[in-house]
Amino acid sequence: MRKALSIPSVRETLRIILAVLIALGLGFIITLLVSKDPLGAYQAFLAGPVSRLNRAGEWIKESITLTMLGLAVALVFKANLFSLGQDGQMQLGALVSGCVVLFVPLPGILRIPLALLAAGLVGYLWGLIPGYLKAHLSANEIVSTLMLNAIAGRFYEYVLVAFLKPPTAGYNVSAEFPPEGILPNFVPPFLTNLYQLFTQKANITIMVYIAIALVFVVYFIMFRTPFGYELRMVGANIKFARYGGVNTKRTIVQAMAVSGILAGLAGAHLTMGIHGRVITQITASLGFEGIVVALLARNNPLVVPFAALAYGYLRAGADIMERSSDVSREMVLVIQAIIILLVTAERILPMVQKTIADRRAAGTTQPAEAETAKGG
Amino acid sequence: MSLAVVIRSILSAAFLASVLRISTPLILPALGGLITDLSGAVNIALEGIMLVGAFTGVIVSAYTHSWVVGVLAGIGAGILISAVLAFFHLYLKTDVILAGIAINIIASGGTIFLLYILTGDKGSSSTLASKMVPNVNLPLIQDIPFLGQVISGQNIFVWLAFILTALTAVLLYRTRLGVHIRAVGENPTAAESVGINVRRTQLIALLLSGFLASLGGLDLSMAYLALFNRDMTAGRGFIALAAVYLGGRKPWGTLIAAVVFGLADALSNQFGSLNIPSQLVSMIPYVVTILALVVYAVRQRQIVIERARKFQERHMAEVAEAKAAND
Repeated sequence: MRKALSIPSVRETLRIILAVLIALGLGFIITLLVSKDPLGAYQAFLAGPVSRLNRAGEWIKESITLTMLGLAVALVFKANLFSLGQDGQMQLGALVSGCVVLFVPLPGILRIPLALLAAGLVGYLWGLIPGYLKAHLSANEIVSTLMLNAIAGRFYEYVLVAFLKPPTAGYNVSAEFPPEGILPNFVPPFLTNLYQLFTQKANITIMVYIAIALVFVVYFIMFRTPFGYELRMVGANIKFARYGGVNTKRTIVQAMAVSGILAGLAGAHLTMGIHGRVITQITASLGFEGIVVALLARNNPLVVPFAALAYGYLRAGADIMERSSDVSREMVLVIQAIIILLVTAERILPMVQKTIADRRAAGTTQPAEAETAKGG
Repeated sequence: MSLAVVIRSILSAAFLASVLRISTPLILPALGGLITDLSGAVNIALEGIMLVGAFTGVIVSAYTHSWVVGVLAGIGAGILISAVLAFFHLYLKTDVILAGIAINIIASGGTIFLLYILTGDKGSSSTLASKMVPNVNLPLIQDIPFLGQVISGQNIFVWLAFILTALTAVLLYRTRLGVHIRAVGENPTAAESVGINVRRTQLIALLLSGFLASLGGLDLSMAYLALFNRDMTAGRGFIALAAVYLGGRKPWGTLIAAVVFGLADALSNQFGSLNIPSQLVSMIPYVVTILALVVYAVRQRQIVIERARKFQERHMAEVAEAKAAND
């Protein structure tokens, strides 16, 4: 046990599990205080997502979105860039995929890939802007991405109301997508009937395979390509990276833009996989969720889907709790915030003392570095 | 409605008065953002602090039937939540951005959660009889034809916004604490080496920003409107942060930037009655902010280049002098 604890990754994992458990415990205390039937409410919260097949489907779909958002955040965070632009990129991805699906008269086998491609491309382009501003003008990426989110959100609502909304619609929604634009369910023929039943009842689309593929693609990019190496160098110590001959500007721009592809695809999943149309405020409550997932996964792409499943489970459970008890779903936001604080609070457990010592030894340059990053 | 009517209404005293009203909940948190930014941390929790202040003010004033108690409670809650942020950032070494995001999430979720418990409604506090802060009428000035209509009869937060901008300027440039705040933000190691308590200085900066942001929130729920709506800050905390940069990280510059945002917002309300889509008009402040970021960054870089050039010149002059002396 003691030996296992000395391995940093084991310690990190334990720390994160502990943080989640503490947050869940605090959530239970809150439920005790406010609910007439706290046990029932918490049971709905914790067991709800697996109580029925269609609920499990909701959970999986939520986790697919979260996986892509988590990958998007992990990629920029790995480069030590605080891009918060996933929300805007996701909205534009949703919008563009919706436009392609609604207006491009192609058969489904071409229309769907085209829509996904367009969503990825618009995310890429929207990520180039803060990337360029950061790399070439050292403009603060937090402020620029927040502003770009606001612009994207307004543009989204404008196009939706002005061009996509049918005159007869009472709400701000587009027409329902034709079948050629809905992501199909896909069951590999060699799998068992049980799995077939699950994918159909739970409505699991091909996006699940795309998301899994993306996990490996991002892992490959991050750890097996020169770009990934440069990205990690920039994240570890940008001055050292520059000194070592890394084109840091290009790396920053590309990290932000490639991250945008993933967020754009998450947006396409919202329209083509979940809602089947373009709806108003489609990314509501999803804006910063990628950050939580990336934090839980410690920016490791291979861990992201598991973090997404775990966190998606909490979100799906909160929805069910709200429907079946007197506790509102916002409790999960409180749990979420506590998880972020506990996971990121470096000094909260004596277990991390060693990492701090390591950091102290490794980085007298780090404070100065943080300064230049903040000063921009 | 024709363009002429819109232009006439834009030139009216009532419009200018509304610009001041709309700008106030941006000016106050922006001052808070300025102080923390100068102390070396980006406080993206302004949004959440505003929300908590707005919520607490409404709830407490509804139960105590006193706007004063409500405002004080709102301020207290805002300072408390910024203390939580400071505790995590300064003492537990949480990254300030991530801690700020957590504070925003907990503020949004927590206020809706409590609102539902207290009123059974997740949307707004309209069933509660919360109080509003009084307006300030200026006896003589209110009789001046145009000016009187603009500045008299505004609520106390509008006045506070201008007074606090002046006080912030004094604090930052005329007091010991202000010098410390700026020194810590410029270079914490250097500040520490001359005996400044870096952590305490940053703590004070964060608490001050909590105070200012909570006033912004209280303005929204007890003056601008008379109730609390879920997520009623609607990104104002982030815009306030942008105003700091647009204003060149100076108190009066920040105020002017916040008023520019307020103006764009008020204009988008007016243009809504023309055929220009309001969503497009309301993008303007954000586009302006990004342009301002660019301008600010270019200017900063020029300053650095200029400094380097001067340093080099001085160095060359010294070398030449030394050479001359040797000869």
